[in-house]
Amino acid sequence: MVIRTYNEEQQYLEKISSCAWKIKKGFVPNMKVEGVFYANDALEKLMFDELKNSCHSQGFGGFLPGMKQIANVAALPGIIGKSVGLPDVHAGYGFAIGNMAAFDMGDPKAIVSPGGVGFDINCGVRLLRTNLSEKDVSPVKEQLAQSLFDHIPVGVGSKGVIPMTAKDLEEALEMGMDWSLREGYAWAEDKEHCEEYGRMLQADPAKVSMRAKKRGLPQLGTLGAGNHYVEIQVVDEIYNKFAANKMGIEHKGQVCVMIHSGSRGLGHQVATDALVAMEKAMKRDKIEVNDRQLACAHIRSQEGQDYLKGMAGAANYAWVNRTSMTFLTRQAFAKMFHSTPDDLDMHVIYDVSHNIAKVEEHFVEGKQRTLLLHRKGSTRAFPPHHPLIPVDYQLTGQPVLIGGTMGTCSYILTGTERGMLETFGSTCHGAGRALSRAKSRRNLDYTDVLDALAEKGISIRVASPKLVMEEAPQSYKNVTDVVDTCHAAGISEKAIKLRPIAVIKG
Amino acid sequence: MMEHEFKYAVIGGGIAGVTCVEQLSALCPDDKILLITASSVVKAITNISKVTSILEDFCVVEKPSVYISENCPNVTVKQTRVTNLQAQKHKIITDEDEYEYGKLCVCMGGTPNIISKNCSYVLGIRDTESVQEFQKRIANAQRIMIIGNGGIATELVYEVEDCEVIWAIKDKSISKSFIDAGAAEFLLPQLSQDKQSSTGSAPTKRRKYTIDGNKFRDIGHGTGTALGPDWSEGLLLKGLDKISHNVKIEYNVEVEAVMEKDEYRITLTDAEQDALSVWPVYVKLTNGTVYGCDFVVSATGVTPNTETLLKNNKFEVAEDGGLKVNDKMQTNILDVYAAGDICSAFWNPSPTWFQMRLWSQARQMGSYAAKSMVSHTRNQDILMDFCFEMFAHVTRFFNYKVVLLGRYNAQGLSTNYELLLRVTKGKEYVKVVLKGGQMQGAILIGETDLEETFENLILNKMDLSQYGEDLLDPNIDIEDYFD
Repeated sequence: MVIRTYNEEQQYLEKISSCAWKIKKGFVPNMKVEGVFYANDALEKLMFDELKNSCHSQGFGGFLPGMKQIANVAALPGIIGKSVGLPDVHAGYGFAIGNMAAFDMGDPKAIVSPGGVGFDINCGVRLLRTNLSEKDVSPVKEQLAQSLFDHIPVGVGSKGVIPMTAKDLEEALEMGMDWSLREGYAWAEDKEHCEEYGRMLQADPAKVSMRAKKRGLPQLGTLGAGNHYVEIQVVDEIYNKFAANKMGIEHKGQVCVMIHSGSRGLGHQVATDALVAMEKAMKRDKIEVNDRQLACAHIRSQEGQDYLKGMAGAANYAWVNRTSMTFLTRQAFAKMFHSTPDDLDMHVIYDVSHNIAKVEEHFVEGKQRTLLLHRKGSTRAFPPHHPLIPVDYQLTGQPVLIGGTMGTCSYILTGTERGMLETFGSTCHGAGRALSRAKSRRNLDYTDVLDALAEKGISIRVASPKLVMEEAPQSYKNVTDVVDTCHAAGISEKAIKLRPIAVIKG
Repeated sequence: MMEHEFKYAVIGGGIAGVTCVEQLSALCPDDKILLITASSVVKAITNISKVTSILEDFCVVEKPSVYISENCPNVTVKQTRVTNLQAQKHKIITDEDEYEYGKLCVCMGGTPNIISKNCSYVLGIRDTESVQEFQKRIANAQRIMIIGNGGIATELVYEVEDCEVIWAIKDKSISKSFIDAGAAEFLLPQLSQDKQSSTGSAPTKRRKYTIDGNKFRDIGHGTGTALGPDWSEGLLLKGLDKISHNVKIEYNVEVEAVMEKDEYRITLTDAEQDALSVWPVYVKLTNGTVYGCDFVVSATGVTPNTETLLKNNKFEVAEDGGLKVNDKMQTNILDVYAAGDICSAFWNPSPTWFQMRLWSQARQMGSYAAKSMVSHTRNQDILMDFCFEMFAHVTRFFNYKVVLLGRYNAQGLSTNYELLLRVTKGKEYVKVVLKGGQMQGAILIGETDLEETFENLILNKMDLSQYGEDLLDPNIDIEDYFD
């Protein structure tokens, strides 16, 4: 890996619009296409600070800056178009999170990489509407939250409430939301308002390992911990009344429920299994990559196909999971307000995935091609009239659900034609953190802890203490900046803003 | 007509037993199941059962809820004491009757170890009955002594207010079985601060447990069900004085003698007797110090409750006194399974799991034992529940959330490991155990938001060497990175 100065690195970067930069070939070795990243002024500063830090060897060793990761992806075989960094792009395993990359299915050398999907396969967001208002919910907020906690188990080691056997799991992996529908946990309309209609047909439970299934079985219908959550939100702003009406959002203060979750341990195991298998295959097939974490395989190879089928199974699991939580949420609300989910109009507005690989048709230089799109921390955003989006959204474009970090505001966007051309119909997914060494204090206040812990022959390595978020805002790419940048770049349009009033998490 | 033959029987109405019965009932709605408990039955408080009636309107199949006597028509509950087990004849003999079983799961828990069995000033605290007794006595106390260094002792020391507490532990750091010495250092300052009043309005994220059924009949000591999570919530554990916390810790000591007032006075000289401050009971520690106090709490663990079972049956017993069970929760005696505190896990465990007598493991074992029994009846294969792959426990100590994952204290790793550490005083304590670059365990204290990520890293067995201590750098959003 070439070590350059910050100034030298900048030679490869060119601002191409008020909110977009180009990463030229040569920024890292073997780039087959250019990279591009979207950023407004604030986000641009974060991207460059991150790069500067890594140049001055104040970097984070095993963690590469986002720009480098985007470029390393551009060096992968079979990549077509550009390696795209959405405005929320930040460090991730293999691919950065917020990196979209498309590969030409017609090119035998084209690859598929689990790092381009993420460990939490089909981590995504689902939004339910209700016909309740903030004034209906505010007085009973705590009881409602408790009711949700009672129905949806949270925390590590929590066990699901909806009964599931190993056989159920097999069927769920294969059938996705069709399983939920059959078992009575979903409404038929829910499927319509879900990417892939809640089921990827190429799923093959046989390609999901026993260990992955074992991890997945107890976790179904649970929220775990970490950045997955269920949020009760209210509509804060309506930017596009027409689109909002099509989604069943009539007024400010209308109550919605956002479910943010994925395939959890099952997805993790599927990804881990594939990374191991592909590392072996890369030697055999002589595939070279700039970063070991970018382990990949030719799409048509056994390993590539096995992964795509397993990934589809994990994706189905995640949809079943979000559907199970939809079911439990509907019950909790119905019980709380002495009504039925139907009377409360608790329909699914839409369900999007932001960690997934999809086979899609796109136009490249005027010609229609079949591409394998990796969207990691990136959401599909199809424009009006696209055949794969539901009938009721044909005029508005596909709803794009952007969850901010838990506790901050969320957005609904719609897909655009421009996005289709520039990013193959992809946009951001939320917020992110840049790698930042700013103001890190080496607090040696805990020597007594270290002394107590010390033991002969055991090495103890110490990390800096945790800074309270308020103290380090500059490393943070907040969701509003991110969404505004997407809007300014024309790759998706703002429709609605939501604000949380209660959150359920582990 | 009284039922005497049951397909499945469970002895013990604590968390292990009740979970076992719940699971059996769900798997075999048509089979007859017997639950024998000497005390009232533990039930989980949940709103789920009320959901059932709404669901039926939508024609969705909902499994039976946890209100055993109300919603599981195939389960018979008998509150009585088992006096004998004739395992070869598949017979259970109680105070009142005899029952025959196809398969039996014993979940009789453990009897609290009391340091001084005959002294009325020494109180064992292990089950709800003893907690109620404790509550009564603490109201009139100015000073108590707590002996023990486990979870109950730790929680109790923090919960008690308005009373001086002498905490005597045999280790050199507090809560040794749960946390390491470093975490102990981190938590100690909380003991000199005022206790945080619990916010009653905040929703609880865990299932709550309480006691269901008849008022407790005095059948015999040590027959109460063990304390579940959040046992101290809602209890008034206040003494006489008006101080929040006043705790003194005696390290590396054991109890040498417990003497009542007169018994102790006799050993002193006249001058010493005159100078003595009067307490109902005195405790002499192995370091020579003598403390007087209103009463003593013995939270020194349990001994598995196997006496009755061993009378007539040759069970294999482990060193810790528990019934040995294999990876199917079977004892060495045909058709007898065991779960919870009464058993000792005697299979070759996964590298990141080990047994600890906790309510969470009792629940996991109860559930798995039921599945095992049913699969054997049906001649089916069964795989071990995944919860036995990695140890995971969440609790609260000194008002901090504590998450323990895998081999969090490098248990069983001798010196072949290294630690990553991140501490912010008063906020969080994060310790990771690494072996060969792979995460083996972690202790997370405070709202770290790392538990899900670390659980995944442990189970993924990923090589983390390249990250070094940057793994814990707070400037990196590590949970997003591995998302």
